[in-house]
Amino acid sequence: MTVADSAAGCWWRPFREIGDAVVIHIDLEADSTREGDALTWLNEEEKARWRRYEHQGARRRFALCRAALRAILCDQLGCQNERLEFGASDHGKPFAVVNGRRHPISFNVSHSGEHGLVAFAPKGRLGVDVEERVARRDLDVLVTSVLSLGEQSELALKSGCDKVHLFFSLWTIKEALIKALGKGFSLDVSGFEVPLAMRRGVVTSTFRFPEMPSVRWRLENLGNDRFAAAIAHEQF
Amino acid sequence: MSSTEDRIRQLVEENLEVDGQPIAQPINLDSNLSDAGVSSMDVVAFGKLVNEEFNANLSVEDCAKLPTLRALIDHLDA
Repeated sequence: MTVADSAAGCWWRPFREIGDAVVIHIDLEADSTREGDALTWLNEEEKARWRRYEHQGARRRFALCRAALRAILCDQLGCQNERLEFGASDHGKPFAVVNGRRHPISFNVSHSGEHGLVAFAPKGRLGVDVEERVARRDLDVLVTSVLSLGEQSELALKSGCDKVHLFFSLWTIKEALIKALGKGFSLDVSGFEVPLAMRRGVVTSTFRFPEMPSVRWRLENLGNDRFAAAIAHEQF
Repeated sequence: MSSTEDRIRQLVEENLEVDGQPIAQPINLDSNLSDAGVSSMDVVAFGKLVNEEFNANLSVEDCAKLPTLRALIDHLDA
């Protein structure tokens, strides 16, 4: 199965193109047939990881996302599934290994609830995040943990659904950025700000981390009525 | 006074869930929250609760990097 075949029974479909980055949506709704198919794509190490997940939903999301990622990368790289492996950076960001050699393609995966996203591009570091917008009783705890004072002020002007939507937009943009950078939460997420225009509803912008101003990132808010999502892609 | 382990178990039971359900019972202290299916957003919020409960100073990175709940308990008891 390939990206092009996705209309014929696959659980992933093209979602968006942002410059030279492609974003694929993965349907993670419960489906035992699909999960069975997905498991046939996984290697022994991945199957062991699949078994370690304690919740059925978590197992399903991992299997469907990893199988879709394998199919997409095999299609892009022109390799067989058996030739594709994954390595990981010090902070756990995965990269593709084909025939024992690291491949330069950039990719990133995120999932939440019934939605997964895979983003890939030929070059430039890349991060993607998706979150289903669920009501959270601990929203205020999260706000003070991950948003700057300026972002918190912006959020304080909102209420109800508008507040939830803005929070999830800010979270996904920030998480996409730290995933793109590949250093995990070693970066203080409250120490940088989502561009003001995006905080006020503009869907695309550029961004530079204060401590690395020479690197420019393209940001895109990919959210829709079903989920919040964002992509960050390094520009040259 | 309850042990650190008891208090962590209670915090997990009362605050963490996956797909609207409590995480696996009995709680496996040797699994990490990611393997339990807990999202990064929940990990961040849980870390904040742990800080409040134990008057600790865990960063978001600390929360994300602790490999297991047992490692968290050991860290808090150290």
